[in-house]
Amino acid sequence: MKKISAIALAVLALSGCESLSSPVVRFDRQVNYGDAKAVELVTNEFGSTDLQMIAEKMVGSLLESGAFEGRPLVTISSVKNKTSEYIDTTNVMNSIQTALVKSGRVRFTRSIAEMQTGVDELQRQNQSGLYKSSGTAKVGNMSAAKFMLEGELTSIVKQNSNTKDVFYKFTLKMFDVEGGTIEWQDEKQIRKTSKR
Amino acid sequence: MTPKFLVIVLAAAALGGLAQAQTLATATPAAVAGKLVVRGSADKVAVREIRATRNSDFMSVQADFYNPERSDHYVFYRFRWIDGAGNQVGDGEAWKQLLLLGQAQETVKSVAPTPAAVDFRIEMNAEKK
Repeated sequence: MKKISAIALAVLALSGCESLSSPVVRFDRQVNYGDAKAVELVTNEFGSTDLQMIAEKMVGSLLESGAFEGRPLVTISSVKNKTSEYIDTTNVMNSIQTALVKSGRVRFTRSIAEMQTGVDELQRQNQSGLYKSSGTAKVGNMSAAKFMLEGELTSIVKQNSNTKDVFYKFTLKMFDVEGGTIEWQDEKQIRKTSKR
Repeated sequence: MTPKFLVIVLAAAALGGLAQAQTLATATPAAVAGKLVVRGSADKVAVREIRATRNSDFMSVQADFYNPERSDHYVFYRFRWIDGAGNQVGDGEAWKQLLLLGQAQETVKSVAPTPAAVDFRIEMNAEKK
């Protein structure tokens, strides 16, 4: 009886352990999705977590400063990369812009980099002869930005035989386009240290 | 080992694993603990105080992390914002890593992404450096 009970328990336990397959297509070299918001510590070069931290700090500072009273029009200028690394700084500004647009407190106009595609579309609608004039977007009706956001990313790298220390500083300024004054400014400092 | 003993041992192991509760350092006040979501153990790191204000209609929160031990700790944290209906606001913040030196206090701060946020939680876990 004791032997039968033990076998019965083992069978029950094993049947409970049988796992269902997951709905994935997998090959020998397994790939998995990771957490896009996890802290990335692969190397001490500029990474996804740095981009996210910078964007969150800048957006938070802008929103609570009251600089966007009246839902003004803002445009993005370039972000100068003054580090020795290749960094797509457009990425940082895109993240900042996305969060600000979603806040509902600010409107953005086309940046200088985005202007050509807008002009091309207006020309296509008005000069190609393909569209009804009553439905086309008219030239000369764009809204101009009141403020302009400009950024700069710098780094200081120090290393010896067993330690490499990288200090990043991202500075973002908001200029009044007409007056040329700085209406808001903030910075984010990041230190990443690696040991051999 | 008899089958009955084996079953008892397995059950105890299973229950012990399931019952592993979140543990917070005792220096975290009860009022603050209600705003924390700790993954595993806070490893003696305490959250001494949380301050919430509204600036320009956006909720702004500061939290003071304190490390009572002599050894340095890493704290991983992020803020989660909640609206009046209890839903999460925004896509969620990224995790941040904070170096908390021994017997030191650091203040972290975050601003809600939209004015709809009326409540928050701080997700965290800590580990020795």
